[in-house]
Amino acid sequence: MAIGFAIIVGVGVSLFLLIFLTYAVGTFNSLVRLRNNIDKSWANIDVLLKQRADELPNLIASVKGYMAHERELFESITNARAAMMNAKTMEDKANADYMISGALKTLFAVAENYPTLKANENFMQLQQRITGLENEIADRREFYNDSVNTYNIRIESFPEMIVAELMHFDRRELFQAVESERINVKAEF
Amino acid sequence: MSDAEFKTLLLSFFGLGAGIYLFVNGFRWLREKRLIENTPTSKIRSLAMGLVEVFGEATPKDEKLIKAPFSNKDCLYCKYTIEEYRKSGKSSHWVTLKKAEDRTFFYLKDETGAVLIDTECANIDIPMDFEFDSSGGKDPPENIVKFLESNGMSFEGFLGFNKTMRYREYFIAPGDRVYVMGTADDNPFVYEGSSQKSEHDIMIRKGDSFYYISDKPEKDILGNYEWKVIGGLFGGSATIIVCLFVIFSILNML
Repeated sequence: MAIGFAIIVGVGVSLFLLIFLTYAVGTFNSLVRLRNNIDKSWANIDVLLKQRADELPNLIASVKGYMAHERELFESITNARAAMMNAKTMEDKANADYMISGALKTLFAVAENYPTLKANENFMQLQQRITGLENEIADRREFYNDSVNTYNIRIESFPEMIVAELMHFDRRELFQAVESERINVKAEF
Repeated sequence: MSDAEFKTLLLSFFGLGAGIYLFVNGFRWLREKRLIENTPTSKIRSLAMGLVEVFGEATPKDEKLIKAPFSNKDCLYCKYTIEEYRKSGKSSHWVTLKKAEDRTFFYLKDETGAVLIDTECANIDIPMDFEFDSSGGKDPPENIVKFLESNGMSFEGFLGFNKTMRYREYFIAPGDRVYVMGTADDNPFVYEGSSQKSEHDIMIRKGDSFYYISDKPEKDILGNYEWKVIGGLFGGSATIIVCLFVIFSILNML
């Protein structure tokens, strides 16, 4: 066989192998990056959950004097905060987050009945801060779920699923409260 | 070896180089495409530090705008080129006389907030917004003439005849919907803790990784990248193989 022909065949095979190997390695690296993105986006939610939980004692202290009769409501916030501080798994944190959000919604709704409280500057600042944190948590929860969704789609799609199966990439769960565990916080007016 | 064979051989070596360039860049485009695909879009009010992807409307910072030199449009970023068509014997080609960029910081706004963008060192992928060709009997407009004069250039050549020249602009204007993938970092223009809204403490700029700005939506960007990857990897491979075949044929090595 002429040397030129052999070189062309050799180059062609090498190029094909290079594309195949680089694609396979790139797919693996891509899945690793996706998996780490999920962990990072979870950590970013956790930071905000902690910040919000830290604000709750200040919030209760600022409203207690005005809403002395809303003991059940304060208890539900305290219990929800305790649930968040003790939560170990993502499911526990999602459930605790749901409890806190519900309790806070109720508190701010009830606060509408106390005009002097509403006018209190400390309360207004806390309300603004916590509402801001709630919005950021909602955004980052959505971002986390988008990251998980992208990752799950990748590991279940062809041809990435081949690499995912070989390298043991498992499905990840979305950040959401389990229906049976949700506790509705009711306020009595 | 005949003249035609020699020219074909030269072209084939050039094609081989182009094929290798395409092939190597095909991997880079694949990596960038995957990065864009795998990164969800963030809402601006909840941006985390690090590599982020955002999409929103470009708005000026402190009403500061720049003027595009040829179209005179108000913009936030502008890239422009001045080219001249030159003939040399039997061949002719466009020569770039000047290529430059002008930029200012701007905000990218979505429905949740705004973030400052520094376009320095970004790979800015925007289509051409303005083009004007001047030639014999077709003078450029006054603002282009003034721009040329201020840069020591002229649209007139030998004996006052107009040169064949081309003026192109690419810009990001206020109100444009812009996609940005870059690194969210501390905003050096805001003192720590002085701002209530966290988005003003953050700026998106070039970090250690990919920095890309486009005025196309993500779906179109990925579509373009798809073609670039196919063209790079498979087009590059095919070009390499074909050029090698031609080279070895001419050199009687097949």
